[in-house]
Amino acid sequence: MRHPPQVDWFEIISENFMDNFGYARHVLERMAAIRPIVMHGVSMSIGSTDPLDWKYLESLKALAEFVQPVWVSDHLCWTGVSHVNTHDLLPMPLTEESLGHVINRVGQIQDFLRRPLVLENPSTYFEFRESTITEWDFLSELAKQTGCGLLLDVNNVYVSGFNHGFDPEHYIRSLPPESIVQIHLAGPSDCGQYLVDTHDQPVPAPVWRLYKLAQELTGGVSTLLEWDANIPDFPELVAELHKADAALRGMIPDAPVSKSIAAAVVSNPVGFQLALNDD
Amino acid sequence: MKAVVTERGGLDEKLQAAASQHDGLRIEDVIVEKRGLSAHKRLSIYTGGYVLRLLECMRADFPALRNFVGDTVFDAFAKAYIISHPPKSSSLFDLGAGFPQFLEETKPPDSALQADLNGLLDMPPELARLERARSEIRRAPGTEQDPQGTQPLSPLAIFSESITLEATPCLRLLKLKFPLVDFLRRSDRNERPAPPLPESSFAALGRSNYRLHMEEVAMWQFAFLKACEHPLPLPLAAGRAAEESGKETAFILAELVVWLPVALGLGFLRRVS
Repeated sequence: MRHPPQVDWFEIISENFMDNFGYARHVLERMAAIRPIVMHGVSMSIGSTDPLDWKYLESLKALAEFVQPVWVSDHLCWTGVSHVNTHDLLPMPLTEESLGHVINRVGQIQDFLRRPLVLENPSTYFEFRESTITEWDFLSELAKQTGCGLLLDVNNVYVSGFNHGFDPEHYIRSLPPESIVQIHLAGPSDCGQYLVDTHDQPVPAPVWRLYKLAQELTGGVSTLLEWDANIPDFPELVAELHKADAALRGMIPDAPVSKSIAAAVVSNPVGFQLALNDD
Repeated sequence: MKAVVTERGGLDEKLQAAASQHDGLRIEDVIVEKRGLSAHKRLSIYTGGYVLRLLECMRADFPALRNFVGDTVFDAFAKAYIISHPPKSSSLFDLGAGFPQFLEETKPPDSALQADLNGLLDMPPELARLERARSEIRRAPGTEQDPQGTQPLSPLAIFSESITLEATPCLRLLKLKFPLVDFLRRSDRNERPAPPLPESSFAALGRSNYRLHMEEVAMWQFAFLKACEHPLPLPLAAGRAAEESGKETAFILAELVVWLPVALGLGFLRRVS
Protein backbone atom coordinates (compact mmCIF):
# COMPACT_ATOMS: atom_id res chain seq x y z
CA MET A 1 0.00 0.00 0.00
CA ARG A 2 3.05 2.28 0.12
CA HIS A 3 3.04 2.65 -3.67
CA PRO A 4 0.15 3.27 -6.05
CA PRO A 5 -1.28 -0.04 -7.32
CA GLN A 6 -0.10 -0.93 -10.80
CA VAL A 7 -3.39 -2.54 -11.73
CA ASP A 8 -6.75 -0.99 -12.60
CA TRP A 9 -8.91 -3.00 -10.19
CA PHE A 10 -8.80 -5.84 -7.70
CA GLU A 11 -10.82 -8.98 -7.20
CA ILE A 12 -11.31 -10.44 -3.72
CA ILE A 13 -12.46 -13.87 -2.65
CA SER A 14 -15.71 -12.90 -0.94
CA GLU A 15 -15.56 -15.61 1.73
CA ASN A 16 -12.19 -14.33 3.00
CA PHE A 17 -13.77 -11.04 3.97
CA MET A 18 -17.30 -12.04 4.98
CA ASP A 19 -17.66 -11.76 8.76
CA ASN A 20 -14.02 -10.71 8.95
CA PHE A 21 -13.52 -7.52 10.94
CA GLY A 22 -9.74 -7.67 11.29
CA TYR A 23 -6.83 -6.11 9.46
CA ALA A 24 -7.80 -7.75 6.16
CA ARG A 25 -11.03 -5.75 6.16
CA HIS A 26 -9.13 -2.57 6.94
CA VAL A 27 -6.84 -3.17 3.96
CA LEU A 28 -9.86 -3.93 1.80
CA GLU A 29 -11.43 -0.63 2.79
CA ARG A 30 -8.26 1.20 1.78
CA MET A 31 -8.11 -0.64 -1.53
CA ALA A 32 -11.76 0.02 -2.26
CA ALA A 33 -11.10 3.72 -1.77
CA ILE A 34 -8.53 3.82 -4.57
CA ARG A 35 -9.54 1.06 -7.00
CA PRO A 36 -12.76 -0.69 -8.07
CA ILE A 37 -13.31 -4.06 -6.41
CA VAL A 38 -15.00 -7.18 -7.72
CA MET A 39 -16.27 -9.76 -5.23
CA HIS A 40 -15.68 -13.31 -6.39
CA GLY A 41 -17.14 -16.14 -4.33
CA VAL A 42 -16.55 -19.88 -4.12
CA SER A 43 -19.29 -21.07 -1.77
CA MET A 44 -22.65 -19.90 -3.14
CA SER A 45 -23.27 -23.43 -4.43
CA ILE A 46 -25.78 -22.22 -6.97
CA GLY A 47 -26.21 -25.69 -8.45
CA SER A 48 -26.78 -27.59 -5.21
CA THR A 49 -30.05 -29.27 -4.36
CA ASP A 50 -29.70 -27.96 -0.79
CA PRO A 51 -31.88 -24.92 -0.07
CA LEU A 52 -30.18 -21.57 -0.62
CA ASP A 53 -28.02 -20.65 2.37
CA TRP A 54 -29.64 -17.39 3.42
CA LYS A 55 -27.18 -16.83 6.26
CA TYR A 56 -24.38 -16.97 3.72
CA LEU A 57 -26.27 -14.65 1.39
CA GLU A 58 -26.90 -12.15 4.18
CA SER A 59 -23.17 -12.02 4.93
CA LEU A 60 -22.44 -11.66 1.23
CA LYS A 61 -24.92 -8.82 0.95
CA ALA A 62 -23.46 -7.08 4.02
CA LEU A 63 -19.99 -7.29 2.50
CA ALA A 64 -21.29 -5.97 -0.82
CA GLU A 65 -22.83 -3.01 0.98
CA PHE A 66 -19.47 -2.34 2.65
CA VAL A 67 -17.32 -2.76 -0.47
CA GLN A 68 -19.73 -1.46 -3.14
CA PRO A 69 -18.22 -3.83 -5.70
CA VAL A 70 -18.57 -3.50 -9.44
CA TRP A 71 -19.66 -7.15 -9.65
CA VAL A 72 -20.56 -10.02 -7.34
CA SER A 73 -19.63 -13.30 -8.96
CA ASP A 74 -19.46 -17.03 -8.23
CA HIS A 75 -19.29 -20.27 -10.21
CA LEU A 76 -21.68 -22.51 -12.10
CA CYS A 77 -21.19 -25.46 -9.78
CA TRP A 78 -22.20 -27.00 -6.50
CA THR A 79 -19.92 -27.23 -3.51
CA GLY A 80 -21.79 -29.78 -1.43
CA VAL A 81 -25.03 -31.38 -0.46
CA SER A 82 -26.78 -32.28 2.79
CA HIS A 83 -25.13 -29.23 4.35
CA VAL A 84 -21.62 -30.52 3.78
CA ASN A 85 -19.30 -28.11 1.98
CA THR A 86 -16.45 -29.81 0.14
CA HIS A 87 -14.87 -26.44 -0.67
CA ASP A 88 -14.48 -27.63 -4.21
CA LEU A 89 -16.26 -26.52 -7.39
CA LEU A 90 -18.12 -29.67 -8.40
CA PRO A 91 -19.52 -30.11 -11.92
CA MET A 92 -23.27 -30.11 -12.45
CA PRO A 93 -25.39 -32.43 -14.52
CA LEU A 94 -26.44 -30.14 -17.35
CA THR A 95 -30.11 -30.90 -18.09
CA GLU A 96 -33.36 -28.99 -18.65
CA GLU A 97 -34.24 -29.74 -15.03
CA SER A 98 -30.96 -28.43 -13.59
CA LEU A 99 -31.14 -25.39 -15.86
CA GLY A 100 -34.58 -24.55 -14.48
CA HIS A 101 -33.27 -25.10 -10.96
CA VAL A 102 -30.35 -22.71 -11.44
CA ILE A 103 -32.49 -20.11 -13.24
CA ASN A 104 -34.84 -20.09 -10.26
CA ARG A 105 -32.01 -19.73 -7.74
CA VAL A 106 -30.21 -17.01 -9.69
CA GLY A 107 -33.48 -15.07 -9.78
CA GLN A 108 -33.91 -15.36 -6.02
CA ILE A 109 -30.34 -14.30 -5.33
CA GLN A 110 -30.47 -11.34 -7.70
CA ASP A 111 -33.68 -10.15 -6.07
CA PHE A 112 -32.10 -10.50 -2.63
CA LEU A 113 -28.78 -8.85 -3.50
CA ARG A 114 -30.56 -6.22 -5.63
CA ARG A 115 -27.88 -6.55 -8.28
CA PRO A 116 -27.11 -8.87 -11.18
CA LEU A 117 -25.10 -11.94 -10.35
CA VAL A 118 -22.15 -12.96 -12.50
CA LEU A 119 -21.37 -16.66 -12.97
CA GLU A 120 -18.12 -18.25 -14.07
CA ASN A 121 -17.57 -21.43 -16.02
CA PRO A 122 -15.54 -23.82 -13.82
CA SER A 123 -12.78 -26.22 -14.81
CA THR A 124 -14.23 -29.70 -14.75
CA TYR A 125 -12.75 -33.17 -14.77
CA PHE A 126 -15.83 -35.26 -15.45
CA GLU A 127 -19.22 -34.98 -17.13
CA PHE A 128 -22.46 -36.67 -16.05
CA ARG A 129 -23.96 -39.23 -18.44
CA GLU A 130 -27.36 -37.69 -17.88
CA SER A 131 -26.25 -34.29 -19.21
CA THR A 132 -28.18 -33.27 -22.30
CA ILE A 133 -27.04 -29.68 -22.71
CA THR A 134 -23.56 -28.41 -23.45
CA GLU A 135 -22.02 -26.07 -20.92
CA TRP A 136 -21.96 -23.18 -23.41
CA ASP A 137 -25.65 -23.61 -24.22
CA PHE A 138 -26.47 -23.94 -20.52
CA LEU A 139 -24.67 -20.68 -19.68
CA SER A 140 -26.13 -18.88 -22.70
CA GLU A 141 -29.68 -19.83 -21.76
CA LEU A 142 -29.04 -18.98 -18.11
CA ALA A 143 -27.81 -15.51 -19.05
CA LYS A 144 -30.76 -15.01 -21.42
CA GLN A 145 -33.38 -16.11 -18.89
CA THR A 146 -32.01 -14.33 -15.79
CA GLY A 147 -30.01 -11.40 -17.12
CA CYS A 148 -27.04 -12.58 -15.11
CA GLY A 149 -23.57 -11.76 -16.37
CA LEU A 150 -20.95 -14.29 -17.42
CA LEU A 151 -17.41 -14.41 -16.15
CA LEU A 152 -15.56 -16.21 -18.90
CA ASP A 153 -12.53 -18.05 -17.58
CA VAL A 154 -10.63 -18.84 -20.76
CA ASN A 155 -8.22 -21.10 -18.88
CA ASN A 156 -11.16 -23.13 -17.57
CA VAL A 157 -12.52 -23.43 -21.11
CA TYR A 158 -9.12 -24.69 -22.22
CA VAL A 159 -8.80 -27.15 -19.32
CA SER A 160 -12.33 -28.53 -19.69
CA GLY A 161 -11.97 -28.65 -23.49
CA PHE A 162 -8.85 -30.77 -23.14
CA ASN A 163 -10.39 -33.01 -20.48
CA HIS A 164 -13.69 -33.58 -22.30
CA GLY A 165 -12.59 -33.27 -25.90
CA PHE A 166 -14.55 -30.23 -27.06
CA ASP A 167 -13.28 -27.33 -29.14
CA PRO A 168 -12.62 -24.40 -26.78
CA GLU A 169 -12.93 -21.89 -29.61
CA HIS A 170 -16.37 -23.20 -30.44
CA TYR A 171 -17.31 -22.89 -26.74
CA ILE A 172 -16.28 -19.22 -26.65
CA ARG A 173 -17.89 -18.37 -30.01
CA SER A 174 -21.17 -19.93 -28.81
CA LEU A 175 -21.57 -17.67 -25.76
CA PRO A 176 -23.51 -14.40 -26.04
CA PRO A 177 -20.65 -11.86 -26.07
CA GLU A 178 -22.88 -9.13 -24.67
CA SER A 179 -23.34 -11.18 -21.47
CA ILE A 180 -19.61 -11.57 -20.83
CA VAL A 181 -18.61 -8.88 -18.35
CA GLN A 182 -15.25 -10.14 -17.22
CA ILE A 183 -12.48 -12.57 -18.19
CA HIS A 184 -10.24 -14.72 -16.01
CA LEU A 185 -6.80 -15.88 -17.04
CA ALA A 186 -4.68 -18.51 -15.30
CA GLY A 187 -2.09 -21.18 -15.87
CA PRO A 188 -3.04 -24.87 -15.57
CA SER A 189 -0.88 -27.95 -14.92
CA ASP A 190 -0.41 -30.77 -17.40
CA CYS A 191 -0.85 -34.08 -15.57
CA GLY A 192 -0.35 -36.21 -18.68
CA GLN A 193 -3.80 -37.50 -19.58
CA TYR A 194 -5.58 -34.47 -18.24
CA LEU A 195 -5.12 -30.81 -17.25
CA VAL A 196 -5.79 -29.39 -13.79
CA ASP A 197 -6.69 -25.79 -13.03
CA THR A 198 -3.97 -25.10 -10.47
CA HIS A 199 -3.70 -21.30 -10.70
CA ASP A 200 0.02 -21.58 -10.02
CA GLN A 201 1.69 -21.25 -13.41
CA PRO A 202 2.23 -18.66 -16.16
CA VAL A 203 -0.56 -18.46 -18.73
CA PRO A 204 0.31 -20.77 -21.67
CA ALA A 205 0.10 -19.82 -25.34
CA PRO A 206 -3.16 -21.71 -26.13
CA VAL A 207 -4.93 -19.83 -23.32
CA TRP A 208 -3.60 -16.51 -24.59
CA ARG A 209 -5.03 -17.35 -28.03
CA LEU A 210 -8.45 -18.01 -26.49
CA TYR A 211 -8.14 -14.76 -24.57
CA LYS A 212 -7.50 -12.83 -27.78
CA LEU A 213 -10.55 -14.44 -29.39
CA ALA A 214 -12.76 -13.65 -26.40
CA GLN A 215 -11.68 -10.02 -26.32
CA GLU A 216 -12.32 -9.67 -30.05
CA LEU A 217 -15.83 -11.08 -29.64
CA THR A 218 -16.71 -9.01 -26.57
CA GLY A 219 -15.11 -5.81 -27.76
CA GLY A 220 -12.92 -5.77 -24.67
CA VAL A 221 -13.87 -6.50 -21.05
CA SER A 222 -11.95 -6.37 -17.77
CA THR A 223 -9.38 -9.11 -17.31
CA LEU A 224 -8.12 -10.71 -14.14
CA LEU A 225 -5.06 -12.93 -13.80
CA GLU A 226 -5.68 -15.60 -11.16
CA TRP A 227 -2.62 -16.83 -9.31
CA ASP A 228 -3.52 -18.56 -6.04
CA ALA A 229 -0.55 -20.80 -5.25
CA ASN A 230 3.23 -20.44 -5.65
CA ILE A 231 2.49 -16.75 -6.03
CA PRO A 232 5.45 -14.82 -7.49
CA ASP A 233 6.49 -11.35 -6.34
CA PHE A 234 4.04 -8.61 -7.25
CA PRO A 235 6.21 -7.11 -10.07
CA GLU A 236 6.41 -10.53 -11.75
CA LEU A 237 2.67 -10.94 -11.34
CA VAL A 238 2.01 -7.54 -12.91
CA ALA A 239 4.42 -8.37 -15.76
CA GLU A 240 2.43 -11.55 -16.46
CA LEU A 241 -0.79 -9.54 -16.57
CA HIS A 242 0.75 -7.00 -18.95
CA LYS A 243 1.38 -9.80 -21.43
CA ALA A 244 -2.34 -9.49 -22.10
CA ASP A 245 -1.69 -6.27 -24.04
CA ALA A 246 0.83 -8.06 -26.22
CA ALA A 247 -1.57 -10.96 -26.79
CA LEU A 248 -4.26 -8.58 -27.98
CA ARG A 249 -1.79 -7.19 -30.51
CA GLY A 250 -1.27 -10.71 -31.80
CA MET A 251 2.07 -11.28 -30.06
CA ILE A 252 1.09 -14.43 -28.22
CA PRO A 253 3.50 -15.19 -25.35
CA ASP A 254 5.25 -18.45 -26.08
CA ALA A 255 4.73 -20.28 -22.79
CA PRO A 256 3.96 -24.01 -22.75
CA VAL A 257 1.49 -25.67 -20.43
CA SER A 258 3.55 -26.48 -17.34
CA LYS A 259 4.14 -30.14 -16.67
CA SER A 260 3.12 -31.16 -13.19
CA ILE A 261 5.91 -32.60 -11.06
CA ALA A 262 3.87 -32.88 -7.88
CA ALA A 263 2.71 -36.31 -6.75
CA ALA A 264 -0.74 -34.97 -5.96
CA VAL A 265 -2.14 -31.96 -7.78
CA VAL A 266 -4.92 -30.01 -6.10
CA SER A 267 -7.45 -28.18 -8.22
CA ASN A 268 -8.93 -24.95 -6.89
CA PRO A 269 -6.13 -24.29 -4.40
CA VAL A 270 -6.91 -22.43 -1.19
CA GLY A 271 -3.61 -20.60 -0.82
CA PHE A 272 -5.53 -17.35 -1.00
CA GLN A 273 -7.04 -18.14 2.39
CA LEU A 274 -3.77 -19.15 4.00
CA ALA A 275 -2.11 -15.86 3.17
CA LEU A 276 -4.70 -14.05 5.26
CA ASN A 277 -3.46 -15.79 8.39
CA ASP A 278 -0.12 -14.01 8.33
CA ASP A 279 0.11 -11.09 10.71
CA MET B 1 -21.47 -37.66 -4.70
CA LYS B 2 -21.31 -36.57 -1.06
CA ALA B 3 -20.36 -40.10 -0.04
CA VAL B 4 -17.81 -40.33 -2.81
CA VAL B 5 -16.04 -37.15 -1.75
CA THR B 6 -16.32 -37.14 2.02
CA GLU B 7 -16.55 -40.79 3.13
CA ARG B 8 -13.63 -42.45 4.92
CA GLY B 9 -11.13 -44.59 2.99
CA GLY B 10 -9.72 -44.85 -0.52
CA LEU B 11 -11.79 -44.19 -3.63
CA ASP B 12 -12.81 -47.85 -3.96
CA GLU B 13 -14.19 -47.86 -0.42
CA LYS B 14 -15.95 -44.56 -1.04
CA LEU B 15 -17.51 -45.95 -4.22
CA GLN B 16 -18.64 -49.03 -2.33
CA ALA B 17 -20.27 -46.80 0.28
CA ALA B 18 -22.01 -44.81 -2.45
CA ALA B 19 -23.15 -47.99 -4.23
CA SER B 20 -24.65 -49.36 -1.02
CA GLN B 21 -26.56 -46.10 -0.56
CA HIS B 22 -27.84 -46.05 -4.15
CA ASP B 23 -28.89 -49.57 -4.99
CA GLY B 24 -25.68 -50.83 -6.54
CA LEU B 25 -25.15 -47.83 -8.80
CA ARG B 26 -21.82 -48.07 -10.64
CA ILE B 27 -19.64 -45.04 -11.22
CA GLU B 28 -19.46 -45.85 -14.93
CA ASP B 29 -23.27 -45.46 -15.04
CA VAL B 30 -22.96 -41.89 -13.80
CA ILE B 31 -19.76 -40.46 -15.27
CA VAL B 32 -18.74 -40.30 -18.91
CA GLU B 33 -15.58 -42.19 -19.86
CA LYS B 34 -13.68 -40.80 -22.82
CA ARG B 35 -10.25 -39.77 -24.06
CA GLY B 36 -8.79 -42.81 -22.31
CA LEU B 37 -9.67 -41.48 -18.88
CA SER B 38 -11.79 -43.78 -16.76
CA ALA B 39 -14.66 -42.57 -14.59
CA HIS B 40 -12.61 -43.75 -11.62
CA LYS B 41 -9.61 -41.60 -12.56
CA ARG B 42 -11.78 -38.57 -13.27
CA LEU B 43 -13.50 -38.84 -9.93
CA SER B 44 -10.19 -39.30 -8.12
CA ILE B 45 -9.13 -35.80 -9.17
CA TYR B 46 -11.90 -34.48 -6.92
CA THR B 47 -11.69 -37.00 -4.10
CA GLY B 48 -7.90 -36.71 -3.82
CA GLY B 49 -8.03 -32.94 -3.79
CA TYR B 50 -10.73 -32.82 -1.10
CA VAL B 51 -8.60 -33.91 1.85
CA LEU B 52 -5.39 -32.29 0.59
CA ARG B 53 -7.08 -28.92 0.16
CA LEU B 54 -8.53 -28.97 3.66
CA LEU B 55 -5.34 -30.38 5.16
CA GLU B 56 -3.50 -27.38 3.75
CA CYS B 57 -5.89 -25.12 5.68
CA MET B 58 -5.45 -27.07 8.90
CA ARG B 59 -1.67 -26.79 8.61
CA ALA B 60 -1.96 -23.04 8.17
CA ASP B 61 -4.34 -22.69 11.11
CA PHE B 62 -2.23 -24.66 13.62
CA PRO B 63 1.44 -24.01 12.78
CA ALA B 64 2.74 -24.29 16.36
CA LEU B 65 0.92 -27.54 16.98
CA ARG B 66 2.34 -28.91 13.74
CA ASN B 67 5.78 -27.74 14.78
CA PHE B 68 5.36 -29.48 18.14
CA VAL B 69 4.02 -32.87 17.07
CA GLY B 70 5.73 -33.05 13.66
CA ASP B 71 4.22 -33.32 10.16
CA THR B 72 3.39 -37.03 10.27
CA VAL B 73 1.43 -36.96 13.51
CA PHE B 74 -0.23 -33.65 12.67
CA ASP B 75 -1.36 -34.80 9.23
CA ALA B 76 -2.71 -38.08 10.62
CA PHE B 77 -4.89 -36.32 13.18
CA ALA B 78 -5.90 -33.51 10.83
CA LYS B 79 -6.97 -35.99 8.13
CA ALA B 80 -8.91 -38.05 10.66
CA TYR B 81 -10.61 -34.85 11.83
CA ILE B 82 -11.49 -33.80 8.26
CA ILE B 83 -13.04 -37.18 7.52
CA SER B 84 -14.85 -37.39 10.88
CA HIS B 85 -16.11 -33.82 10.74
CA PRO B 86 -16.81 -32.87 7.10
CA PRO B 87 -17.00 -29.07 6.84
CA LYS B 88 -20.49 -27.64 7.11
CA SER B 89 -19.59 -23.98 6.87
CA SER B 90 -19.14 -21.93 3.74
CA SER B 91 -16.07 -20.39 5.36
CA LEU B 92 -12.77 -22.26 5.59
CA PHE B 93 -12.11 -20.21 8.69
CA ASP B 94 -14.60 -22.41 10.55
CA LEU B 95 -12.85 -25.63 9.51
CA GLY B 96 -10.55 -25.90 12.52
CA ALA B 97 -13.06 -24.77 15.15
CA GLY B 98 -13.67 -28.28 16.45
CA PHE B 99 -10.08 -29.53 16.18
CA PRO B 100 -9.06 -28.86 19.83
CA GLN B 101 -12.10 -30.81 21.01
CA PHE B 102 -11.34 -33.61 18.54
CA LEU B 103 -7.79 -33.89 19.90
CA GLU B 104 -9.14 -33.98 23.44
CA GLU B 105 -11.63 -36.73 22.57
CA THR B 106 -9.11 -38.89 20.72
CA LYS B 107 -6.53 -38.96 23.53
CA PRO B 108 -5.88 -42.48 24.85
CA PRO B 109 -7.55 -43.10 28.21
CA ASP B 110 -5.36 -42.05 31.15
CA SER B 111 -4.97 -45.50 32.61
CA ALA B 112 -3.45 -46.90 29.45
CA LEU B 113 -0.27 -44.83 29.68
CA GLN B 114 2.45 -43.79 32.09
CA ALA B 115 1.64 -40.72 34.18
CA ASP B 116 4.23 -38.44 32.54
CA LEU B 117 3.05 -39.40 29.05
CA ASN B 118 -0.53 -38.76 30.10
CA GLY B 119 0.49 -35.23 31.03
CA LEU B 120 2.25 -34.67 27.71
CA LEU B 121 -0.78 -35.83 25.74
CA ASP B 122 -2.77 -33.01 27.31
CA MET B 123 -0.61 -30.48 25.54
CA PRO B 124 -1.72 -30.81 21.85
CA PRO B 125 -5.39 -30.00 22.54
CA GLU B 126 -4.38 -27.13 24.82
CA LEU B 127 -2.00 -25.69 22.23
CA ALA B 128 -4.70 -26.09 19.57
CA ARG B 129 -7.14 -24.13 21.79
CA LEU B 130 -4.65 -21.30 22.11
CA GLU B 131 -3.93 -21.19 18.38
CA ARG B 132 -7.63 -21.32 17.56
CA ALA B 133 -8.35 -18.43 19.95
CA ARG B 134 -5.65 -16.41 18.24
CA SER B 135 -7.21 -17.11 14.83
CA GLU B 136 -10.56 -15.95 16.14
CA ILE B 137 -9.35 -12.61 17.43
CA ARG B 138 -7.67 -11.95 14.11
CA ARG B 139 -11.11 -11.73 12.46
CA ALA B 140 -13.43 -10.76 15.33
CA PRO B 141 -14.91 -7.28 15.61
CA GLY B 142 -12.42 -5.17 17.57
CA THR B 143 -12.14 -1.72 19.05
CA GLU B 144 -10.56 -0.07 16.02
CA GLN B 145 -13.81 1.68 15.15
CA ASP B 146 -14.38 2.71 18.78
CA PRO B 147 -11.21 4.49 19.92
CA GLN B 148 -13.24 6.38 22.54
CA GLY B 149 -13.78 3.22 24.59
CA THR B 150 -10.10 2.33 24.80
CA GLN B 151 -8.64 5.79 25.44
CA PRO B 152 -5.90 5.77 28.11
CA LEU B 153 -7.00 6.15 31.72
CA SER B 154 -5.27 8.50 34.10
CA PRO B 155 -3.62 6.45 36.89
CA LEU B 156 -6.08 7.38 39.62
CA ALA B 157 -9.20 7.53 37.48
CA ILE B 158 -10.52 4.35 39.05
CA PHE B 159 -10.89 6.19 42.37
CA SER B 160 -12.25 9.44 40.97
CA GLU B 161 -14.47 8.45 38.06
CA SER B 162 -17.48 6.24 37.66
CA ILE B 163 -16.20 3.58 35.30
CA THR B 164 -18.17 0.79 33.66
CA LEU B 165 -16.19 -1.79 31.73
CA GLU B 166 -17.00 -4.37 29.10
CA ALA B 167 -14.90 -7.06 27.44
CA THR B 168 -14.21 -6.26 23.79
CA PRO B 169 -15.73 -8.63 21.20
CA CYS B 170 -12.21 -9.83 20.41
CA LEU B 171 -11.25 -10.82 23.95
CA ARG B 172 -10.62 -14.55 24.43
CA LEU B 173 -9.91 -16.02 27.87
CA LEU B 174 -8.43 -19.46 28.30
CA LYS B 175 -7.66 -21.50 31.37
CA LEU B 176 -4.88 -23.84 30.27
CA LYS B 177 -3.18 -26.90 31.72
CA PHE B 178 0.22 -25.56 30.63
CA PRO B 179 1.83 -22.11 30.50
CA LEU B 180 1.73 -21.97 26.70
CA VAL B 181 1.88 -18.29 25.80
CA ASP B 182 5.68 -18.14 25.80
CA PHE B 183 5.82 -21.54 24.08
CA LEU B 184 3.62 -20.22 21.25
CA ARG B 185 5.63 -17.01 20.91
CA ARG B 186 8.85 -18.98 20.58
CA SER B 187 7.28 -21.34 18.10
CA ASP B 188 6.20 -18.30 16.06
CA ARG B 189 9.88 -17.39 15.84
CA ASN B 190 10.55 -20.83 14.31
CA GLU B 191 12.24 -22.07 17.47
CA ARG B 192 11.58 -25.56 18.75
CA PRO B 193 10.85 -24.83 22.41
CA ALA B 194 10.79 -27.66 24.93
CA PRO B 195 7.28 -28.39 26.21
CA PRO B 196 6.58 -26.67 29.54
CA LEU B 197 5.76 -28.71 32.61
CA PRO B 198 2.04 -29.05 33.37
CA GLU B 199 0.83 -26.13 35.46
CA SER B 200 -2.48 -24.26 35.46
CA SER B 201 -2.19 -20.96 33.65
CA PHE B 202 -4.49 -18.21 32.42
CA ALA B 203 -4.21 -16.57 29.01
CA ALA B 204 -5.93 -13.45 27.67
CA LEU B 205 -5.92 -12.62 23.97
CA GLY B 206 -7.09 -9.40 22.41
CA ARG B 207 -6.46 -6.96 19.60
CA SER B 208 -5.84 -3.23 19.46
CA ASN B 209 -5.13 -1.17 16.37
CA TYR B 210 -5.14 -4.47 14.43
CA ARG B 211 -2.24 -5.86 16.50
CA LEU B 212 -2.80 -9.17 18.24
CA HIS B 213 -1.94 -9.43 21.92
CA MET B 214 -1.53 -12.59 23.93
CA GLU B 215 -0.65 -12.40 27.61
CA GLU B 216 -0.39 -14.81 30.49
CA VAL B 217 -2.41 -13.22 33.29
CA ALA B 218 -2.82 -13.79 37.02
CA MET B 219 -5.90 -15.54 38.32
CA TRP B 220 -7.42 -12.27 39.66
CA GLN B 221 -6.88 -10.61 36.25
CA PHE B 222 -8.53 -13.56 34.53
CA ALA B 223 -11.47 -13.34 36.95
CA PHE B 224 -11.71 -9.57 36.49
CA LEU B 225 -11.80 -9.87 32.68
CA LYS B 226 -14.34 -12.67 32.91
CA ALA B 227 -16.55 -10.56 35.18
CA CYS B 228 -16.59 -7.92 32.44
CA GLU B 229 -18.04 -10.25 29.78
CA HIS B 230 -21.17 -8.16 30.30
CA PRO B 231 -20.93 -4.42 31.12
CA LEU B 232 -20.18 -4.02 34.81
CA PRO B 233 -19.24 -1.09 37.05
CA LEU B 234 -15.58 -1.38 38.03
CA PRO B 235 -16.15 -1.85 41.77
CA LEU B 236 -18.46 -4.79 41.12
CA ALA B 237 -15.99 -6.39 38.72
CA ALA B 238 -13.21 -5.95 41.30
CA GLY B 239 -15.45 -7.54 43.93
CA ARG B 240 -16.09 -10.55 41.74
CA ALA B 241 -12.40 -10.90 40.93
CA ALA B 242 -11.64 -10.83 44.67
CA GLU B 243 -14.25 -13.47 45.33
CA GLU B 244 -12.93 -15.78 42.58
CA SER B 245 -9.25 -15.35 43.33
CA GLY B 246 -9.32 -15.20 47.12
CA LYS B 247 -7.61 -11.79 47.10
CA GLU B 248 -8.78 -8.70 48.99
CA THR B 249 -10.81 -6.20 46.96
CA ALA B 250 -8.42 -3.48 48.12
CA PHE B 251 -5.51 -5.44 46.66
CA ILE B 252 -7.28 -5.74 43.34
CA LEU B 253 -8.18 -2.05 43.19
CA ALA B 254 -4.56 -1.15 43.95
CA GLU B 255 -3.32 -3.49 41.20
CA LEU B 256 -5.89 -2.08 38.76
CA VAL B 257 -4.31 1.36 39.04
CA VAL B 258 -1.42 0.03 37.00
CA TRP B 259 -2.99 -2.84 35.09
CA LEU B 260 -6.35 -1.45 33.92
CA PRO B 261 -4.76 1.06 31.47
CA VAL B 262 -2.70 -1.85 30.13
CA ALA B 263 -5.79 -4.03 29.68
CA LEU B 264 -7.51 -1.20 27.82
CA GLY B 265 -4.45 -0.66 25.65
CA LEU B 266 -4.23 -4.34 24.73
CA GLY B 267 -7.84 -4.33 23.57
CA PHE B 268 -9.06 -6.65 26.33
CA LEU B 269 -11.55 -4.15 27.76
CA ARG B 270 -13.32 -0.98 26.80
CA ARG B 271 -15.16 1.68 28.77
CA VAL B 272 -18.87 1.95 28.22
CA SER B 273 -20.91 4.99 29.02
